[in-house]
Amino acid sequence: MKHGLQRLRELLDDHVVGHDDAKQALLLALVCREHIYLEGPPGSAKTRMAELAARGASLGFFFYQMHRDTRLSELVGDVVLERRPLAEGEGERIHQAIEPGGILTADVCVLDDISRAPGEALNVLLRVLNERKFGERQIPLLTAIATSNPLRDEYYNEPLDPANLDRFAIQLRVSGLIQSGDRAAARALVDRFADGRVVEQPEPAPVLSRTQLDAAYAELARIDVPAAEKDRLVELLRRLVVDYDCNETNSLLTDRSFLVKAVKLLRGRALLAGRSRVERGDLAVLSLMTTFRVPEEVAAKVPALIEEIAA
Amino acid sequence: MSPPELTALQAALAAVVHGQDDAATGLVLALVAREHAYLEGPPGCGKSALGRALGRACGARAAELAFHRDASAADLLGEVRLRRERLPARGGERIALELAAGPSAHAEVLLLDDLARAPGEALGLLLRVLAERRLGRRALPLECAVATAGPPDLESYADPLEPTQLDRFAVQLRLHGLVGARRFGVARALLDREPLADAPVVLDTEKRHALQARAAALSIAPAARAALLRAVEALARAAASEPALLSDRAFARAAPRILQANALLRGAPQVEPADVRALRFMLARRVPEALEPELPGILEEAIADTPSTVVGARPAAAVERTGQAPAPSSGAADAAVPVDSLEAHNAPLDAVAPLAAARGEDEGAAVEALVAALAGALERGAVERGDDPGGQPRAFRRMRRLDEIADADPVDAQLFVEGRQPHGARVYRRARRNAGGVLAVLRDVSASMEGRLARWAGEVVAGLVRVGARRRMRLGYVEFNHEAERFAAGGAFFHRRYRRVLALASRRRAEGRTNYEAPLRAALAEFKSTAGRDRHIVLLSDGVPVLGDPAVRSERALARRLGVKVHTVFLGLGECPAVLDEISRETEGLRFEARPRADGRLVVKERERASPVPTRSKGDS
Repeated sequence: MKHGLQRLRELLDDHVVGHDDAKQALLLALVCREHIYLEGPPGSAKTRMAELAARGASLGFFFYQMHRDTRLSELVGDVVLERRPLAEGEGERIHQAIEPGGILTADVCVLDDISRAPGEALNVLLRVLNERKFGERQIPLLTAIATSNPLRDEYYNEPLDPANLDRFAIQLRVSGLIQSGDRAAARALVDRFADGRVVEQPEPAPVLSRTQLDAAYAELARIDVPAAEKDRLVELLRRLVVDYDCNETNSLLTDRSFLVKAVKLLRGRALLAGRSRVERGDLAVLSLMTTFRVPEEVAAKVPALIEEIAA
Repeated sequence: MSPPELTALQAALAAVVHGQDDAATGLVLALVAREHAYLEGPPGCGKSALGRALGRACGARAAELAFHRDASAADLLGEVRLRRERLPARGGERIALELAAGPSAHAEVLLLDDLARAPGEALGLLLRVLAERRLGRRALPLECAVATAGPPDLESYADPLEPTQLDRFAVQLRLHGLVGARRFGVARALLDREPLADAPVVLDTEKRHALQARAAALSIAPAARAALLRAVEALARAAASEPALLSDRAFARAAPRILQANALLRGAPQVEPADVRALRFMLARRVPEALEPELPGILEEAIADTPSTVVGARPAAAVERTGQAPAPSSGAADAAVPVDSLEAHNAPLDAVAPLAAARGEDEGAAVEALVAALAGALERGAVERGDDPGGQPRAFRRMRRLDEIADADPVDAQLFVEGRQPHGARVYRRARRNAGGVLAVLRDVSASMEGRLARWAGEVVAGLVRVGARRRMRLGYVEFNHEAERFAAGGAFFHRRYRRVLALASRRRAEGRTNYEAPLRAALAEFKSTAGRDRHIVLLSDGVPVLGDPAVRSERALARRLGVKVHTVFLGLGECPAVLDEISRETEGLRFEARPRADGRLVVKERERASPVPTRSKGDS
């Protein structure tokens, strides 16, 4: 099983240069069944990674390009009309039905450019994602991967509502290798394309199955979280609130995220490392949760703060 | 030695469109590299003709998509058909709409004419399909898509394209008309020529594929890779704080192919540093326009690898750039400005350093309330009003998705279900908010506008700019005292460089006396050359006009005639001049006054109702 996860990681490495954080975060999201939000400029491999992670696991996969007029009905399948004859002499009835598809049948869905969708469609969508339920119906969704461009004048997007953003347990920024000035990575990237080693339309052979992921999820619950690590988690939250003035108006340090999901992510990181016990270093995973939940300048300091607490 | 087929292809394009050799070369590179191309330029400079000529001359299966406001991705890619199935199990029948691939799905070279006119949602999907060259499960034979668009600042009818969408086009070129670019010699030569209506066919599919394969097989020398990276780094440095689109997708994935195509075109055995010059075909919308004159120099430096000395010289070049900005800065060059006002003169936006955040220190609730009220007025203007008594929208369009049946005309819907209307029912076209419009902000900077008032006025301007940015409005900005100073960008008064106006808004200036005529005249002159509904002026002032026509009669009449709403905001302690009320009333604008209270806070009132604008003010509680 761990083998399958490793192979998925290798698959990502084969197709995408750099972006270690994002790859790790995607695996974590799949293992922990949490939703993930990637924000970055155009052409920085966000969608490609999301798509690879989803396709590499042999899961039902749904890709949707969000736009300003996205309606919920486009996400849940095809709308059809059905005509049924009624009892003799009573004519017929025509009604609208949904042939389930899209997020109702997928295990993993990629919601590209999520911040373009209008608020009302997004609200309902994200509630579906969160509850993994549509009407009375349980949906098989494990993980939703959302991507977005940064908020700037040039893009037609509006900031995501904080409550909506909170649905994505894992959040991170992706930046282009060239624009971030990482020379070695940029060179590796150019070399890869210049040598013609890239498959343009990879349809990777699946390396991980739903059964394996289900087993991983079951194992997750058995991973031991020592009291000391729980103390450290609370210490981090205490420091954020007391020392860095994170409060309910400027931050989203919700109980749902930081007391429930955070523990899951700690376990997930231990699992990915092949351990059955959460260790001190696993605390680093928490910086994937604070990216957009605390003010930007605080978020930048979180990794150092975590190291300090772990030391 | 360049392959003769490619020379012939270039000649074939030149035979149809005269004098646009760069664009022709760019298209040839795109075709050989199997990348998409984007041509931007004023109407009538040969963009579409070039795209069409490419498709024909290279012997490809070509198709053309004309974009319009109501284009949907489905319309563009194929035809929406109705499928009716019997449902034997449950009885009855099932009706679904499905997409049948159209001619564009079979095209090898595809012309996307007037790309920017399509609504965002159709574009997003279409461009994704183009980039992946895949529609559903079907691989598309597409080799090269050529998109055309008008200059973004001149388009009043369309939303500008976004970076995400533009990044899908590896080759990007800005064209200028021969006359517009003052290439009169070339223009004269055109008159002597008999341009061909149709390009000669010089390639066929087999030859084309062979050329593409040859280019892809060229090896890229390590020195060339290093030069490519140096070039991108230099571009990033030169663009500095201005937004640049230097994505991995463009420069790691697409650039090597463009360089390979360029090497093939040169007849070189492998890609060498000199081929990095071909990057200039990729940069039109990826780096700030003001950088354009410097690009050849930047690329040459990257090729020669002599950065140290020349980089130091860059700031000097930048200074020079602002000095020769398209809009003449002041004084002698005024004659070139097409405005009949003596007082108005243009100031280049580029002269003002951009500011990271122009949110000032005194951000009061009063500002928010005022901006919200004005924003409401701007939004109201954007929604279409129908004359139907029932308040239903009058326009119809064809149905695209079955779930739109809820919006369909009932009679049409019935015919559709009965199978007598196979193309789908007509559905109501809904009015869309947030689509463009034009706003000019006129700000009083006379001597009395100082300290708190100036700061406050800056906040109001910043708030308006943010509202404008959200709605993608084109903005114009004028500061006035006894004369009016218009801030143009790239030669255009109305533009979408919101950040620059934000930076201006935070400046403090207070000198001279007040004149309403000059700013209104200057702004209205610009409105004369814009089209569309939804045109607004916001006039911010603290004083009585002492110069010019104090009643601005002819400007009021002109504003009415042009359908420009003039909203006025009076700041300060004095009596609000009656002329402000008159201007707004006549043009259906809003009227505000803002007065400082004893505790120094400003209270905003809408003058019509003479009651306080509802605020979330902390000070009032």
